[in-house]
Amino acid sequence: MDLVQMQKSLQDYTKSLFLEGVLDSQFLQLQQLQDESNPDFVSQVVTLFFQDSDRILNDLSLSLDQQVVDFKKVDPHVHQLKGSSSSIGAQRVKNACVVFRNFCEQQNVEACHRCLQQVKQEYYLVKNRLETLFKLEQQIVASGGMIPAMELGF
Amino acid sequence: MTVEQDFEALDQFPVGMRVLAVDDDQTCLRILQTLLHRCQYHVTTTDKAQTALELLRENKNKFDLVISDVDMPDMDGFKLLELVGLEMDLPVIMLSAHSDPKYVMKGVKHGACDYLLKPVRIEELKNIWQHVVRKSKFKKMKSTVTNGDHSLGNSDHKANRKRKDDDQSEEEEQERGNEKKPRVIWTRELHNKFLAAVDHVGVKNAVPKKILDLMNVDNLTRENVASHLQKFRSALKKINNEANNQQANMAAAMDSHYFMQMSSLKGFGSFHHRPIPLGSSQFHGGAATMRHYPSNRTFPGMFPPHVSSSRIHNDGGYIMLQGLPLPPLDNLHINNNNNNNALPSFTSQQRSLMVAPNNHFVPEGHQQSSSSSPHLEINKRLEDWSNNIPQSNVHSKPDALKWNIDTSTTEPTSFCRDTDFGSSYATTQADFLDPFQMKQHQENNLDPMTVAQLLRSSSGNEGLLFMGQHKLENDFMDSDAASLDDIVNSMMTQQEQSQAEFSEGDLGFGWQNNSLRTCI
Repeated sequence: MDLVQMQKSLQDYTKSLFLEGVLDSQFLQLQQLQDESNPDFVSQVVTLFFQDSDRILNDLSLSLDQQVVDFKKVDPHVHQLKGSSSSIGAQRVKNACVVFRNFCEQQNVEACHRCLQQVKQEYYLVKNRLETLFKLEQQIVASGGMIPAMELGF
Repeated sequence: MTVEQDFEALDQFPVGMRVLAVDDDQTCLRILQTLLHRCQYHVTTTDKAQTALELLRENKNKFDLVISDVDMPDMDGFKLLELVGLEMDLPVIMLSAHSDPKYVMKGVKHGACDYLLKPVRIEELKNIWQHVVRKSKFKKMKSTVTNGDHSLGNSDHKANRKRKDDDQSEEEEQERGNEKKPRVIWTRELHNKFLAAVDHVGVKNAVPKKILDLMNVDNLTRENVASHLQKFRSALKKINNEANNQQANMAAAMDSHYFMQMSSLKGFGSFHHRPIPLGSSQFHGGAATMRHYPSNRTFPGMFPPHVSSSRIHNDGGYIMLQGLPLPPLDNLHINNNNNNNALPSFTSQQRSLMVAPNNHFVPEGHQQSSSSSPHLEINKRLEDWSNNIPQSNVHSKPDALKWNIDTSTTEPTSFCRDTDFGSSYATTQADFLDPFQMKQHQENNLDPMTVAQLLRSSSGNEGLLFMGQHKLENDFMDSDAASLDDIVNSMMTQQEQSQAEFSEGDLGFGWQNNSLRTCI
């Protein structure tokens, strides 16, 4: 695949993520923050996000598996996940967190379990997509090309 | 990004503005840091609120602005906000994923300059420097009085220095430096000083200038004192009017404690000449002087009406007086069994009675005798008046009249003048007081005559001014009135002569009024 094609692929791929709602404009903001002085900003932040989220999801699973679920512990975790996912633009993860929090407030254990599953699903999805995205970017960079700036035309 | 171009060249500020960013979420912190860098601020980050505080305390002038997340594990963001505002007086911006207005409200109430929602956008961060300018400008305004320096260039540093000066001189006013015009908050201490000053010059001679000089408080203006004095006087007047109208009503509800109080109220006639026991739970009458204001806000001379159960003891009303461990009481020569005799002695002794006994006067009723709620109501009100702490324990402290006890809150420093005794009365009854009370418990539940007497005697007595601030409600008087009439009548005659003694008018007695509502 030549450079131009790779760049086109990347753009199309990114576009599709936005169209599917996996990512939102916040991600674009992050991309715009990346520059020469900060070349790996996006991947750094996303990596941090993955680390934090893995930990949170783990804690959530543990908390919800308890005999008696302590919602006072569950809620802050979900809240944090909501905050970080919204900060990087992982829209669907954020939305799933919002639903999750509502059920937390109602202290509905069953529903919370389902929500957790939903959040995990969305999270793995966005993780997967972003990893693919970064791979594409790396390929372009490795081929000596520039990563095209995303346009907000869609 | 054209962020750089957006900034005006304001002596380079806001470029290089030093921001401290606090967020336990690594992802958000990293993003925030980059966004702030993009705005050309100088950024320091930490994921722990404690670390942030340490950094700030290390050098207050190191930062211009703090941005902090609300939900942090080691410390609540609002708490950090408060501490930063109090200790360093820096502008703080809250950050949160909570869009719930109540959080925003909380932020505002705790002093946040702004509240941003996550995810934060760069547009919002571009203008945060305005908070720094605003705050320093405000500080400059305040310190203009002291040094008249208006330059904005080095505003941050100058503001910091000035801020320190301002803070020290504003202690009395409990200012956080966020308001345009510092409002004088009449704390208990301040009020007590005021009372002492008024007492010293005499209510009739009380002029703002003299009082201000006597009070010797920084940052208190003649105007502050004048308006406070005006309120004071009008409250006194009100009380006196009420007293005249309510004597009969009061009789029923008052118990001997009350009477005691009344007697001592009489003593207030020469209020300023007598030592006023302040704020101790004992009636240390002798030792206290008018000027000794208890640290609580009680006004010397206020007696919380002793709330007793609905049982009315006609005798022993004065017995209670005897029980009071107040030095002044010694002078009272109260005869247990002879109420009538006691009365006259009271009058003379009253003067020497200073407030402290208030605590003892805690109405028994406070101790959960809800049977006589109307009485309780009054007593409670009076009690609240004289108690520094609007909590159930308060009663145990005989404090001087409280100027502004708000029984509905437990905030001793609240100046809520509207003491709504009725409702909270029952709750605060517990423990009210003291052995003295116990003693009297049996005897005194209501000594109609004492009440009546007190009422009468207090009418002329301005000493209880503060008490007077509260108007006692009439309604609580009803229950036992009928049986007390006779006693009251007999008491009345005796009291008449003592009434004359009350008219010194130093401070009005407010205690007569059941519903002490201050309008200050």
